[in-house]
Amino acid sequence: MNQAQPVNIIMIEDDEGHARLIEKNIRRAGISNDIQHFTDGTTALDYLYEAPDGPVHNGPALILLDLNLPDMSGADILGRLKADGNPLRRTPVVVLTTTDDKVEIQRCYDLGCNVYITKPVNYDSFADAIRQLGLFLSVIQVPDFPEA
Amino acid sequence: MSLKQVAVSDAWFNRLVIGGIALGFLTLLATGLAAYQSVRENQFHSSRVNHTFQVEQAITDFLTEMDRAEIGRRGYLLTGVAAHAETYHDARERFFPLLARIRDLTRDNPRQQANVARLIALTRSDIPFMEQSIALVRSGQRDEGVRLFRDSVGRRAVTVLRAQATVMIDEENRLLAIRDAATARSIRLFYVTVAAAGVMLLLVGAGSIWVITSYTRNLATARDELRVLNTDLEGAVRERTTDLQRANDEIQRFAYIVSHDLRSPLVNVMGFTSELENAGKRLTRMVDMVEARAPDLVDKDAKLAIREDLPEAIGFIRTSTQKMDRLINAILRLSREGRRAITPEKLDMGALAQGIADTHRHRLDESEIDFSIVGRLPDITSDRLAVEQILGNIVDNAIKYMPTGRRGRIEIRGRSDGQRAIFEVADNGRGVDPKDHDRIFDLFRRSGAQDRPGEGIGLAHTRALAYRLGGTIVVESGLGRGATFRISLPVAFIGEQGALL
Repeated sequence: MNQAQPVNIIMIEDDEGHARLIEKNIRRAGISNDIQHFTDGTTALDYLYEAPDGPVHNGPALILLDLNLPDMSGADILGRLKADGNPLRRTPVVVLTTTDDKVEIQRCYDLGCNVYITKPVNYDSFADAIRQLGLFLSVIQVPDFPEA
Repeated sequence: MSLKQVAVSDAWFNRLVIGGIALGFLTLLATGLAAYQSVRENQFHSSRVNHTFQVEQAITDFLTEMDRAEIGRRGYLLTGVAAHAETYHDARERFFPLLARIRDLTRDNPRQQANVARLIALTRSDIPFMEQSIALVRSGQRDEGVRLFRDSVGRRAVTVLRAQATVMIDEENRLLAIRDAATARSIRLFYVTVAAAGVMLLLVGAGSIWVITSYTRNLATARDELRVLNTDLEGAVRERTTDLQRANDEIQRFAYIVSHDLRSPLVNVMGFTSELENAGKRLTRMVDMVEARAPDLVDKDAKLAIREDLPEAIGFIRTSTQKMDRLINAILRLSREGRRAITPEKLDMGALAQGIADTHRHRLDESEIDFSIVGRLPDITSDRLAVEQILGNIVDNAIKYMPTGRRGRIEIRGRSDGQRAIFEVADNGRGVDPKDHDRIFDLFRRSGAQDRPGEGIGLAHTRALAYRLGGTIVVESGLGRGATFRISLPVAFIGEQGALL
């Protein structure tokens, strides 16, 4: 992990409750990185590309993405992030959603999603998954950025 | 033109055609009768004419014989040669047979009878003179004979006879003229009849052609209208099917989205319930600690709330949300199943049923249930997975609801019924109350004692699948009498049928 440039966690999740639960579990896993929370796709994309402290201009990031957003589909955001030539195409994306539809999951992986986590109603396993994600985050090697 | 009008003109057409045909036949019959009558009349007239000629011939013959007798007599009188006397006798012998013949021939004509009688009388009165003159010559009194001959010439007996014969011939000729006229009249009548019949037939023919043409035109119009109606109907059916399909798709999508979006808040409820529980546990620990160190600080209500009310509330929230989650999952699964593409293939139903039994082998043995396939099952062309799930669900239910303490039995039977194949899964289990026969196929509905796990999804799913394959499913059962599920499927898959959840 790049010590000089800590990984920012960008969470795009329209449900405040889910966001809170995810954040709580991430913190419980001992991850103290900054978490930026967005409840819709437009502001999230705006931040990702335009904000001076956003990942395009300022260091590595990890994106937690919900597929059901009010203004656009999470899959669209994923497709755009992972498109050829996009400065963020190497940014790891973790898709977090209620869908356990195999076709949907496959589509996300085809689009370039790095990890797919289903939000189960069984909270314990969900919390478990998030903690696993925390472990994953602690060992993940976020790629260097050209500016970095 | 409306269909009713076509029907009316149908009856009208039938009446006209039958009328036309009857008229045609009547005309032909009349013509035939006229021809027959005419021929018969002709024949009659011909025979009458023939008869006239016979009479005339006989009269002429008689005159000829009379002449011959006269020639013979005169020759004998002049020459005394016996040959002449022979000629006379020969001719004279024929007088009366010929006269008798004339009388016979003219027996139907009183006028001629009178004439014949006169002729006979004249002949009779003449013959003694003739005989006498011949006898005088033979006895050598020739001059006496010649004198007698002259007398008879003076009486002009032969001339009178000839005149009488001519009268008869004239009479016959008069009759002949009458008969000729009658013949000509009957022939004319025949021609007139034939001409009239010809005109009549022509009219009937023309009428028939007109009726048939107009009827055919009507039929063609009706057929065109029917075709248009038919096309409209097909269009309407297509439209309806499309509507249904759209409605079905809409419901599928709706079910998917709803179940999906219902899950989101559920995740929160479950998640924060767990958080609450964890917080409760921490508080309980604290209350325990406080109670141990300073019992007077903890009141009874706080203890009750933290130790009983909170865990109880959380427990109910948890079981309810878990149940809700299962139901939502069931809807999701059904909606997903409804969107799966149907891929028809040829299915060996015997092998498929055996495969289902093999899948459940362990449970069948465990519950001591005899499974059998009775006879040969008809093969069908359909979606393998769907048919497997239909039969599998029913067999699964039969095993699940088989009462313990009795030898269970499950039978799969099948037969062809035209374009459909009927499969029956019969068991001797606890049966289904007749009032629940429809209900058990509804989503989340169950029947009988709720002593087995389940959400009431299996049969709803089974029926949805059967509908999708163009089939139906019904149950025949009574409490404690086992149940027979009858599935009717098309032998060949005929396109997807709309199946609502």
